[in-house]
Amino acid sequence: MVKGTATMTPDRAGPGQDDGSPAAARPLRAATAALSQLVGGLGTALTALPVLLLLAVTALTAPAGIGLLLAPLALRALHALARRERARLTRVGSEVVPPHPPPPTRTRPALADPATRREVRWLLRHSTAGLLLGTTALLLPVIAVRDTTFPLYWRLLPENATATSIGLGQAHSWPQALAVSLLGIGAIAVIVGLTPGMARLQARPGRALLAAGPEEDLSRRVAELTATRAAALDAHATELRRIERALHDGTQNRLVSVTVLLGAARRQVARDPSRADEILERAQSAAEQALAELRTVARGILPPVLDDRGLEGALTGLAAGSPVPCRIDVDAPGRRAASVEATAYFVVAEALTNIARHSGADRATVTVRNRGGRLRVRIDDDGRGGADEGCGSGLTGIRRRVAAHDGTLRLTSPVGGPTTLEVDLPCGA
Amino acid sequence: MEHEERPRPVPAGEPHGLRVVIAEDDPLLREGLALLLRAESLDVAATAGTAEEALAAIEAHRPDVAILDVRMPPTHTDEGIRAAVEARRRRPGLAVLVLSAYVEQSFATQLLTGGVGGLGYLLKERVGRVEEFLDALHRVAGGGTAIDPEVVAQLFTRTRQDTRLERLSPREDEVLALMAEGLGNSAIAARLFVTDGAVHKHIRSIFAKLDMSPADQVDRRVAAVLHYLEDARRRTP
Repeated sequence: MVKGTATMTPDRAGPGQDDGSPAAARPLRAATAALSQLVGGLGTALTALPVLLLLAVTALTAPAGIGLLLAPLALRALHALARRERARLTRVGSEVVPPHPPPPTRTRPALADPATRREVRWLLRHSTAGLLLGTTALLLPVIAVRDTTFPLYWRLLPENATATSIGLGQAHSWPQALAVSLLGIGAIAVIVGLTPGMARLQARPGRALLAAGPEEDLSRRVAELTATRAAALDAHATELRRIERALHDGTQNRLVSVTVLLGAARRQVARDPSRADEILERAQSAAEQALAELRTVARGILPPVLDDRGLEGALTGLAAGSPVPCRIDVDAPGRRAASVEATAYFVVAEALTNIARHSGADRATVTVRNRGGRLRVRIDDDGRGGADEGCGSGLTGIRRRVAAHDGTLRLTSPVGGPTTLEVDLPCGA
Repeated sequence: MEHEERPRPVPAGEPHGLRVVIAEDDPLLREGLALLLRAESLDVAATAGTAEEALAAIEAHRPDVAILDVRMPPTHTDEGIRAAVEARRRRPGLAVLVLSAYVEQSFATQLLTGGVGGLGYLLKERVGRVEEFLDALHRVAGGGTAIDPEVVAQLFTRTRQDTRLERLSPREDEVLALMAEGLGNSAIAARLFVTDGAVHKHIRSIFAKLDMSPADQVDRRVAAVLHYLEDARRRTP
């Protein structure tokens, strides 16, 4: 969790954040990040120039017909550059959500497309102001180094050479040379004091114009939420169906067996009481099985230990009960929906059972991570591998359960080992 | 089933009774059923775990009656119902008793579309009341009908507002329900501890009150009653 904020950027670095560096180093670090961001912006700004030129040529030659042929090419170049800028801005700061659907590459729809028009406006600003800011950012460190160190080499320069980087004045004496180095120090001050602001200024058109419009963003978000909600309801229904089936086809069948056997036993008592005991014995064992099934079904709905001790505690309990030594490594702070944690729990339980039964492994490792709204569970063992989902393992049931939560399950088990089972579950947060 | 069953001595021995095929995916229950029926001297010709196996076994053994579980692999939904319909399509008049963990009136309707003769639809747990179950099995094998009281109760609950049904006396209600289950006059009389003559009188009265023409054969009577209840259900919202 902490790692995510360790790469400081001007966009992200708030005043309250502490990455453990001394207070004096922080502005320097911010300035370095700002400089690299500005130079990155210079990259797209330089590419923006030919794209702008292409667009201009397209627009001017459109009446002659050539522009109409050029238009798709120019639009594609524009969109590609915008995509690159979005990705760059997303890397250094908050996400720039692309418009949806993607902007058109055909002339007529593009002319009416607001997203495309916003891209053109960005192109104009980025290829001018953005280019200027980026160039300045590239030159500032050069100026700083050249001028600050000027006293070290000024005497080697030919007479009448321009002394300062900005092209003014000449140095003919030590005090003058020292004054030049003061200019260099001024450049350093500009770097430290102003580059973070310059970086924000350079990023502003992109952030404002390349992101999807506010209305569009919202409707897309609604669509996403609707989809996830439908998936959640689906998972819920599947879960209920599983429980219903377990009760009807499992537990109830056992109880029906009990009544069938009891019925048979009563008939046997009427015929030959001495032989009834055998049937009663079977009836009793069927009743015991019904109880065991009922326990399994109840536990399958939600293992009580999960509620009492959380996912890590529950998994530690599983590992302690495993005949194969098992290391548990859980780094997933917070709680998730009970059904998601229960699924993770059953994945691990089933995997450890299979490892103990079939793998011949000496040790197993369970890793649980919580990344980007997904719970990732990975179980490794050093056994002989060759695990096959089809061969009566409980993996099929586990896969169904994972699928019900819109998750994925991957089993890698070459003959000779090792075996890795990976499960990825959306947390529905 | 509401009345107390009194087991009476039944001689066990060589199979001389009905020839039966059992389809049930739960192995323990399948074996339990086979054990019970064999102890009752029925000829359990084959047992099956899926609808496909069941259809093959019915082809091969030509049983007097096939006992089918509703939910079987692969989808565990209504394989048994579909297998029953299919088996009766291939061999018209084949007696089929469908067993289910729960009964659903719509399944009953689906089953009954091909005629009610030689058809049974019962809750699994009815098997435990061995004598009544054997009664139902024989009735079905003989071309009669056995509809679970639960299904009949569902039909009755949904037709509560039918004005003509309200004209029936409580006793006539009971008789109508037993008729719908597929019981004959003497069986109804035994259930209600009355004489055959009294049952006969009740039935005439019911047919009169519901404007139904009296049917002499039991299965035609069941069809008439079930159709009446179905129609009444459709009439009432």
